Amino acid sequence: MLTIALDTIREVSRRKFAPAAMALTALVTVLTAWGFWSLAHLHAANGRPLSFVEVHSTTAFLVIFGAFLFSFVLAFGGAILSAPLLSSDLESGMLLPVLARPISRVSFVTGKAAALILVVGIYSAVAAVLQLLAVRLTTGYVPPHPFAAVGALWMLATVVMALGLALSVRLPALASSLIAVMAFGVSWMVGIVSSFGIAYHNAMLIRVGVISQLLVPTDAMWRIAVYQLEPVAMLGHNGGFGPLGPFSVVSPPPIAILWWTFAWIAVVLTFAAGTFSRRDA
Amino acid sequence: MSKAAIDSRRLTKAYRSNDPPAVVDLTLTIEPGCVFGFLGPNGAGKTTVLKMLLGLTRPSSGDALLFGRSIRLPRARERVGYLPELFRYPPWLTPREVLDYHAALAAVPRDTRAAEIERVLSLVGLTSRAGDRTGTFSKGMQQRLGLAVALLGHPRLVFLDEPTSALDPVGRVDVRDIVRSLRERSTTVFINSHLLTEVEQLCDRVAFFRKGRIVADGPIDGIVGSSRGVRIKLDAHANGVATEALRPFGEALIHGDTIALSDIAAARVPDAVAALVANGMRIREVTPLSRTLEQRFLELMDD
Repeated sequence: MLTIALDTIREVSRRKFAPAAMALTALVTVLTAWGFWSLAHLHAANGRPLSFVEVHSTTAFLVIFGAFLFSFVLAFGGAILSAPLLSSDLESGMLLPVLARPISRVSFVTGKAAALILVVGIYSAVAAVLQLLAVRLTTGYVPPHPFAAVGALWMLATVVMALGLALSVRLPALASSLIAVMAFGVSWMVGIVSSFGIAYHNAMLIRVGVISQLLVPTDAMWRIAVYQLEPVAMLGHNGGFGPLGPFSVVSPPPIAILWWTFAWIAVVLTFAAGTFSRRDA
Repeated sequence: MSKAAIDSRRLTKAYRSNDPPAVVDLTLTIEPGCVFGFLGPNGAGKTTVLKMLLGLTRPSSGDALLFGRSIRLPRARERVGYLPELFRYPPWLTPREVLDYHAALAAVPRDTRAAEIERVLSLVGLTSRAGDRTGTFSKGMQQRLGLAVALLGHPRLVFLDEPTSALDPVGRVDVRDIVRSLRERSTTVFINSHLLTEVEQLCDRVAFFRKGRIVADGPIDGIVGSSRGVRIKLDAHANGVATEALRPFGEALIHGDTIALSDIAAARVPDAVAALVANGMRIREVTPLSRTLEQRFLELMDD
């Protein structure tokens, strides 16, 4: 399993998207630093500089908005990295000599998944630290629980990655990644719909939201991340959208959803390993 | 008692319930050290057999053992090499990295790994390109690398699926030499190939496979069968006198200075030659008419 995992990490680092991701992350960090520096030096209409509170409240919202976009990057990344690993590589003949070695298919899938989870985790941490450092140096703002938020985003990406990997046992890479990303998108949209349920006390919409979070727990992970990034003073503010948006939560999903997500990832990866073991090469 | 290298028992594979099975009740025993040729037309099911034996495809029923271990267990593939027919290696890796990866998967001891990698690279003639990315390799070079991967760690059983299909004549000779050296080390070799002349030169035993079943199996001589004909070459054009002289020995086909007697017992060949000499003809050459593996293949596939 370790050999498979190390080879997968080498594969990710050698493919062209690794340097591209690093270059883009560096570029985004520079732009972030410039943007927040400009914000910290903005003047109001009457010519006075923005107050400390104004800068920090705007920065807090923009950090959450940035995290929202980052969650998309991670979800897409997880899907795109995992989708070609099984079916496509098998059909191209790349896996034939490997699977003919004295290794079990379960350890093969486990090694691949472990490597991807690690790679996505390292990338999430590095990119988030760079962004938050840029924010801290330019505005002095630090969100309340940045590491917990990054952990939640990592889980979000792992959910999409696990789904992509499970689908890639039978489906071509493009179909697997598309379906995994669509599941993420649908979960996100249902999350917004369910926020209407919370705002207007509609039990049906709330129930739909809960079911959606159980089926694909990416929206639940996003809500945990938002809660960890949100200063207490901004809870439910949502950048002016009130409770009807994805950028703020008044209370996070129950902690049980975290355990549910761990179990969900384990079950989906077990399913992937099981179906791959039965698949003819 | 040593265990058979391959011992399959009623191995069957049906991909879909409505389609005819790709492999039907394959029962086959191959002893250690045998170089075995597995022959058949396209679509006969040869690659399916090979993939089942390597655990890549699940049998619908039946089982097989590699050196006494069920093919359903990963351990059955210990010290087993495989060169697939259609494959590619990760284009971002160099041959040395590919081999290092496979050496780890094949549990080649860490302290001998580097030397073993250099050995197989040299064996297939890839030492000078060992540091280049495989993405730049031609199909023939990929096949050489595939062969190196298959030979890594001194396997006791090697499966070669069309091992020379992408190679030039020099490469084919190299492969023949490698297979001969494997035989000398008592390695069992299972070759799937369409190149019958190659199989004829290399294999101790062949099986003809057709529509998922073995239709003939045995040593090459036994499969091809003994010949009953001779070709007699004269030092001048043959004529009607020759036809008459040879009439007691069966039908003679004359073409220029060559006479073919297609149905004559070996014991009567000296008499036939004597009859020609007695009629004033001078003999330059007498050779048995042998049937090739290719002819036998075509006969079996026509049945």
